Amino acid sequence: MSEAEAIRLAQQGDAAAFERLYRMHNRRVYSLCLRMLNNTAEAEDLTQEAFLQLFRKIATFRGESAFSTWLHRLSVNVVLMKLRKKSGNESSLEEMTEPDEDSGGPRRDFGTSDLRLTGSIDRVNLQRAVDQLPPGYKSVFVLHDVQGYEHNEIADIMDCSIGNSKSQLHKARMRLRELLQEELRDQARKDRRAAADAVGEV
Amino acid sequence: MASMTCRDFHHELDKWMDGERPANAQSHLKSCVHCGALVADLSAIQSEAETWDSLPSEPPERIWTALRTQLESEGLIEDPHPETPEPRSIGWWNDLFAKFPRPVLAGAYLAALVAFAFAMSGTRGNHVKDVKWLDGSTIVSSPLSAQLDSAEVATVASMRQPNSAVAASLHQNLAIVDNYIALCEKSVREEPENEAARDFLYDAYQQKADLLTQMSERGETGQ
Repeated sequence: MSEAEAIRLAQQGDAAAFERLYRMHNRRVYSLCLRMLNNTAEAEDLTQEAFLQLFRKIATFRGESAFSTWLHRLSVNVVLMKLRKKSGNESSLEEMTEPDEDSGGPRRDFGTSDLRLTGSIDRVNLQRAVDQLPPGYKSVFVLHDVQGYEHNEIADIMDCSIGNSKSQLHKARMRLRELLQEELRDQARKDRRAAADAVGEV
Repeated sequence: MASMTCRDFHHELDKWMDGERPANAQSHLKSCVHCGALVADLSAIQSEAETWDSLPSEPPERIWTALRTQLESEGLIEDPHPETPEPRSIGWWNDLFAKFPRPVLAGAYLAALVAFAFAMSGTRGNHVKDVKWLDGSTIVSSPLSAQLDSAEVATVASMRQPNSAVAASLHQNLAIVDNYIALCEKSVREEPENEAARDFLYDAYQQKADLLTQMSERGETGQ
């Protein structure tokens, strides 16, 4: 059963078609939720919620955009809603970024650190850094650098301009670099302290 | 070729990360340690991020189960091929009733019920132990089946009045139960995983065991 056929049958309430659509897209949606939330229980809940919303609205799908884009838009919105609730505010996507040179915030310098990340980045510390990103940055970073979407697709999914998507990705990457460097510095500081303590004990 | 400052390179950074390699940017990177470090760091982040999507992230099956339940409760999905209310497992049972006159079957069943009261104490306990061999493929040569066959030979030989009306009735019932067993064994062979078929086969064996017990006791008493 092709995706188009499954959509048509699902719009008529066919159970097998719903399952077919779920099986075609569940990994991608679950992966998005998992990378955004870094919590399997929440990712499972939101995957279910995203598909539930999708199936509730499937009768209104007219094919103006790709089905996967539509589904991802729903999924991202479900995740962002969750993140907003967790952070206790109802801010817009634009507000879920950080102040920078464009919005009059503190200018961040670039390329001034001599602390090289190459060879010290792994899944754990990168996920930890991604967890600290503002939701808007995080969404674009996961969609582009993790899931491989193009900026025009992200613009559709996030309902923003292509320029906005590029801008947020840039800021997300720069912020990740800072967070990872901070972690490396903290680790180096701890190592030095431990070494000093060891010398003191001798 | 115009020279590039760090600020200029910064503006072109995203294009660089997307794979564009303008000559002036390449030239700047060769001479600028800071921008070289920046590109190296961002490339490392990008490379690590790309590996995430290949990680196994199969959502658990319970998500679909819960989703389907929810959709059904909301009336959003309907199954065009609902499961038939009558499972296949009892189809052969109906066939059995079609093959034999009901009074005869009822007589056999009643005989088995009566015999049940006199059942050998060890026979029922052995049922549980014999479950594992009941896999359909070895059913004909199963220990319980063979045990019953040899018990039948011994019982018939021990009957003091093999030609009496009672003995004839018991033989008739035995034949019915044997046919019943044959049908049950056939069902288990055809559907080895069908637990209902297995249960019916056990019941059939139980009936034969009970009937043989009854025949044996009657033979001993000369009734």
